[in-house]
Amino acid sequence: MTTSPPDGAAPPSEPRSMSRRSFLRGSTVMAAGVAAMAAGLAPLRKLSDYGSVDEFLQMHYSELKPEQMKVILERMEREVQRQYGVRPHVRDFKPMNGVEFVYALNLTRCTGCRKCVHACVAENNQSRDPGLEYIRVLKMPNGTFDMEKGDHNYAPESVPEPGFFYMPVQCHQCKNPPCVKVCPVKATWQEPDGITVIDYNWCIGCRYCEAACPYFARRFNFTEPSIPSEKLNPNMSYLGNRPRHKGVMEKCHFCIQRTRAGRYPACLEVCPTGARKFGNILDPDSEVSYILKHKRVFVLKEEVGTLPRFFYYFDV
Amino acid sequence: MRRVGQAMERPAFPILLVLLHCMSDESKKTTRALAGLTAGFLALAVVFYVSSRPPTAAKTPFPGITAPKPTTIRISAAQLVKSGGDASGLECYTCHDEKKPPELKYDAAHRLVFPKEHADLIISMRNCESCHGTDQPVKLEYAADGAVIMPKAHQDLLVMAHGRNNRNDNCFNCHNPAKLNELVTREGLHLKFDQATALCASCHGPTFRDWEAGVHGRTSGYWDRSKGPITREECASCHDPHAPAFPQLIPLPGPRPMHPVAPATLPPPSAH
Repeated sequence: MTTSPPDGAAPPSEPRSMSRRSFLRGSTVMAAGVAAMAAGLAPLRKLSDYGSVDEFLQMHYSELKPEQMKVILERMEREVQRQYGVRPHVRDFKPMNGVEFVYALNLTRCTGCRKCVHACVAENNQSRDPGLEYIRVLKMPNGTFDMEKGDHNYAPESVPEPGFFYMPVQCHQCKNPPCVKVCPVKATWQEPDGITVIDYNWCIGCRYCEAACPYFARRFNFTEPSIPSEKLNPNMSYLGNRPRHKGVMEKCHFCIQRTRAGRYPACLEVCPTGARKFGNILDPDSEVSYILKHKRVFVLKEEVGTLPRFFYYFDV
Repeated sequence: MRRVGQAMERPAFPILLVLLHCMSDESKKTTRALAGLTAGFLALAVVFYVSSRPPTAAKTPFPGITAPKPTTIRISAAQLVKSGGDASGLECYTCHDEKKPPELKYDAAHRLVFPKEHADLIISMRNCESCHGTDQPVKLEYAADGAVIMPKAHQDLLVMAHGRNNRNDNCFNCHNPAKLNELVTREGLHLKFDQATALCASCHGPTFRDWEAGVHGRTSGYWDRSKGPITREECASCHDPHAPAFPQLIPLPGPRPMHPVAPATLPPPSAH
């Protein structure tokens, strides 16, 4: 709505004409502003590194319906293929009825050769550098079970060395797991078959669980994991060995992608001395049932009340 | 005393009846029946005797378990191929005299020195990968006849080391001196080379019991037998019968943290 100036009033001020000077000044300021904004938003260009919107909006594992899980697994297969150039088979293995997994490790037989450690890294697509090894083999001096006295950096010419025994430690899949209790977002929980699992998409990386674990079983991805494409194990599972991201926790899950399909874990199969035994404790004919019945077994740090499903024993 | 007399009388009574029957007209019928019964019982006895005899083949402890290497037979690879995996037909007597068993030689520590002629036989069928794994690939060198040349690190295999107290370092504790291509237990049970596990079990009972339960020794495959078989090794797949102690291994590299720990700050290995 325009108003005409009344008669006798002061002559209207000259309409604001764009002078050359004001144009240059204005446009310079504007260009600087746009540039500053673009610079400020620049990190968003890397947004694809942080995953898709679908991934961001994904629900907790326990809330996912089968059809949603199907879509998620397909998306994960695509993402792995884009990142590593290998088409994996990502599945969601469910626990079996009447199965509770138990591990038994014969300390008489373990020679400390660390083959289990490296088989685990290969099977479970763990970061190679820095190394996230689920299994720590402790070289223990004879006469103590104080884990503080164990050395995991041993590198002699050959093992075993006289005067020491070797004690591999990994997730004990406790029946009373402190790591599950402390998780503020329920990203880790115990499954009916006894395996404590992690939803890597739900983990916020607070590392409370790492601090709560008395066995030093949990590993944190401080950096983006580095896995050579040709070393990637394409047989993956949602709760198991699918590639993780920076900032999430991971740990031994008894090779869920193998054991829930009826197979032995990778560390067991590679052990040259047969020190590692695994099976269903609810089956009275299983190897672990035999061991718990006939061998003198013990658990590590019994006094902390975690009720591990990982037993050690000596024989002969 | 009266009771004893009664007891004596009673067993005699049916026999008398039978005798009377035999003399009577019905005797033929009765004789036939008795003969039939006798034959029947004899046949049953034969059946029981045959079925209760121990089976000749070695018993498989768990059905559904496959052992891919029935035994680690210590003959050269070329010979093994020729024999189709069966060493029972191996002709020991082309070299050995059939009438007198070979003489044994001992070193200064009274350990049996393994004959050099058999060195390649030991090493040929060693399952190198069971110890070395795929991370430490083994480069084998072969002789012209296909036998594996023994690496220097394994030269000690030339000395017999079965039995820690030098009790057992005699070839003929296990080999049959009268028939060299056969094994023999202390109980005198004759076994083929591919039945060696039974021979080991004759002395190592508790270990064999654990092995039967799947608890001693290396396994792979399926813990859930409904999904697939468990694969197990036999004694000689992992243990060299002539030096059964498990050999020393080279450890794979230790942990690789994000910030490597300087070696100087590591606790000394023998600090305790």
